[in-house]
Amino acid sequence: MNARAIVVTSGKGGVGKTTTTANLGATLAKRGKRVVLIDADIGLRNLDLVLGLEKRIVFDLVEVAEGRCQLRQALIKDKRFDSLSILPAAQTREKDAITPEQFGAIVNRAAEVADYVLIDSPAGIESGFRNAVAGATEAIVVTTPEVSAIRDADRVVGKIAAVGKPIRLIVNRLRPEMVRSGDMLSVEDVCDVLSVELLGIVPDDEEVIDTTNRGEPIVLNESNRLRAIYDKIARRLEGELVPFTSFDNQTLFGRLIDALKAG
Amino acid sequence: MHQIQAHDTVIVSPSTSSEQAANAAKAGRAIVVTSGKGGVGKTTTTANLGTALARRGARVALIDADIGLRNLDILLGLESRVQHHLLDVLEERASLDDALVADKHTEGLFLLAAAQAREKDDVETAKMQALVASLRERFDYVLIDSPAGIELGFRNAVAGATEAIVVCTPEVAAVRDVDRVVGLLGNRFRPQLIINRLRPQLVRKGKMLSVDDVNGILRLPLLGVIADEPEIIVTTNRGEPLALRAQNATGAAYHAIAARIAGEDVAPPVPPESKASILERIGSIFGGHRR
Amino acid sequence: MARGMLRILRAKRSVTLLRGRLDGLEVTLSGRVLEEAFAELEARLAEQPTFYRGSSAVVSFGETAPTAADLARLRNVLGGAGVTLRALVGSAAELQALAALEGLEFDPPATSLSDSARSLVADFAGARNDIAARRKRGESSVRRAKVESERARAAELRLVEAPQGTLYHAATLRGGQTLHHSGNIVVVGDVNPGAELVATGDILVFGRLAGIAHAGAGGDENARIFAVELTPTQLRIASFIGTDEGPKRASAPSPEVAIARDAKIVVLSLDELSRLEPSGASSA
Repeated sequence: MNARAIVVTSGKGGVGKTTTTANLGATLAKRGKRVVLIDADIGLRNLDLVLGLEKRIVFDLVEVAEGRCQLRQALIKDKRFDSLSILPAAQTREKDAITPEQFGAIVNRAAEVADYVLIDSPAGIESGFRNAVAGATEAIVVTTPEVSAIRDADRVVGKIAAVGKPIRLIVNRLRPEMVRSGDMLSVEDVCDVLSVELLGIVPDDEEVIDTTNRGEPIVLNESNRLRAIYDKIARRLEGELVPFTSFDNQTLFGRLIDALKAG
Repeated sequence: MHQIQAHDTVIVSPSTSSEQAANAAKAGRAIVVTSGKGGVGKTTTTANLGTALARRGARVALIDADIGLRNLDILLGLESRVQHHLLDVLEERASLDDALVADKHTEGLFLLAAAQAREKDDVETAKMQALVASLRERFDYVLIDSPAGIELGFRNAVAGATEAIVVCTPEVAAVRDVDRVVGLLGNRFRPQLIINRLRPQLVRKGKMLSVDDVNGILRLPLLGVIADEPEIIVTTNRGEPLALRAQNATGAAYHAIAARIAGEDVAPPVPPESKASILERIGSIFGGHRR
Repeated sequence: MARGMLRILRAKRSVTLLRGRLDGLEVTLSGRVLEEAFAELEARLAEQPTFYRGSSAVVSFGETAPTAADLARLRNVLGGAGVTLRALVGSAAELQALAALEGLEFDPPATSLSDSARSLVADFAGARNDIAARRKRGESSVRRAKVESERARAAELRLVEAPQGTLYHAATLRGGQTLHHSGNIVVVGDVNPGAELVATGDILVFGRLAGIAHAGAGGDENARIFAVELTPTQLRIASFIGTDEGPKRASAPSPEVAIARDAKIVVLSLDELSRLEPSGASSA
């Protein structure tokens, strides 16, 4: 297997798994990587919507698993990028329509023609989640700085760690002003609870909802700050040591120094 | 007659045996709060609606059906008081009385928490139905907080309910998911809609779906529309539902929803106005004919 | 295009309860106590819960006359494995009327197996081995036909049977729901995004069509798709696929029709259609 197969998951729904998968995938593609995104949320597919590709779906994940078509027939190439394709989930089926083995086999096939395979996991910890994790060799856990999201992320981290896959964390929808007023947990708090390596911090942005409604990943917008932030995440994923954007002055620099010390 | 080839698992229908029909007048109402999409506010809605209903004098039981990812206890600030959970009751290791936790802010409100270290597969649908039926004998309202998704956890949350509330945010993906759920629920649950996290300013700028956009597709009876505000996150972290504050706009919205559920003749829900339009209206009252 | 599919079962009893046919399953209940047979059917289907999903079944009752309640139970059992009940076979006097009442096809016993189907039964032994071998190699044990070719076969086989009816669905279709029919489909209501209609004939939506509609699924390129408000996610006619990538129309919606022209899908107003086909066309 050539590509890195990374599942993007969270436990709690609505924290930004699909948005993260779409934007991170788009960013990696812009950096010249061959990227395949797989929507593992059978029955509640959304990855196609978020990328504006829903009208071009001809075949889906379940049809590939059932042998009704080849993987390459089902992959939809996003024309805005040189090398970004998605494999949509099925909408009219349920999660038991595919086994973990079948899903893993499809991920492997995708990995033969890509540098990165990102798997958009469904919410929760049921069979859809298990299938998504089974197909991956690494995980990105997405959380928001809220107690219930962190609790769910913790559960998910436990389950993934139990099968020995490396995990990194993205803290999404941070509102620095609420952190300062003590009304929202800080990134430090989150990392302390979860004890997972931090991959990225994404601030809350009003534009995101509108762009997902319109099917235009926000990283296409040159004037939006999230573009640079996802770029940093992509670079960290590639192994670069990139400093975290300081929202909070002192405390984050402290963490940066620790990171450098750790090499 | 034909069948829709929905490839869908048949949803367990509400109990309709004659004995239960006879008791229907006395039994409480069991309402599942669900959405398909995660993170739209099911748990927040369950906590706030339960609080609002109890404040009107009803006896209310809340069930957290999100086994393994429990959160309803956090929203009510009761996490340290939970001693037994849903599976303890279903597996007969604890009685309902032992497991039900009295809310610390609102009298008449009780919580049956989910298990955290278990799986949704561990719940047997028939036992869940029986549990809800027995709660209906003791409470006026049983609100069931469903997990995200449409898998077994969702189906178990629906089992035993007789009505449904679907929660949707003004986002295309959420509308799609709710539509799927409504299709699965069918007419028997008479789902009603709450639109959550509306931002009137963004709607006016054309950067967010409006209530009409959402319900133009869903075509459901509208229970209420709740605007997004930072206070909601704060109260979640502190474990104090906004429905405790009747002055707060969100709290008031939940109280109005509770009144509608109770069958009161409340004015139909209106999308929360942004400050600008409120000023416009005030202007026209004092300023005579502006338009 | 992939070949038609065969589904095989190892017979455990002398009278085979369940057997694969070219276009679905054949269930033989003749000479059996219905309640027991239903229980056994349920158990057999449960052995491989997803194997039969999406297929349809022809059920033969021999001389027994089932009641409406029996049919309901049967539908339940089949539905649990994702199988739809399509036709009834038998010699009981009431059976034909019951089939009509339930919207099912009816086959008198003499014509239940066409010659081609009979020869297929003889081929089963070889196919069974082939499937077992493929399973051993870890490949998908059943190669499924695309919907189009399935429906094409079904249309051919039914030439000698009752004419294709129109499926009339008087409710809105929600996301995730599908209607598949050999014949025309009429929906009175909306077809929401995420819902799917597949018909070998025409499709008419008295409401908003926002999901996916596939007309002429058996290969009929003259099939048409009508809607009061035509704003689909995707349209398919025969083997052509089209989608409207243009900007959203500002004007109020009006009834339109989609047809296939020059290997493309074209949307016309009803006026434009009548100009194209001034003589009109009707079919039974």
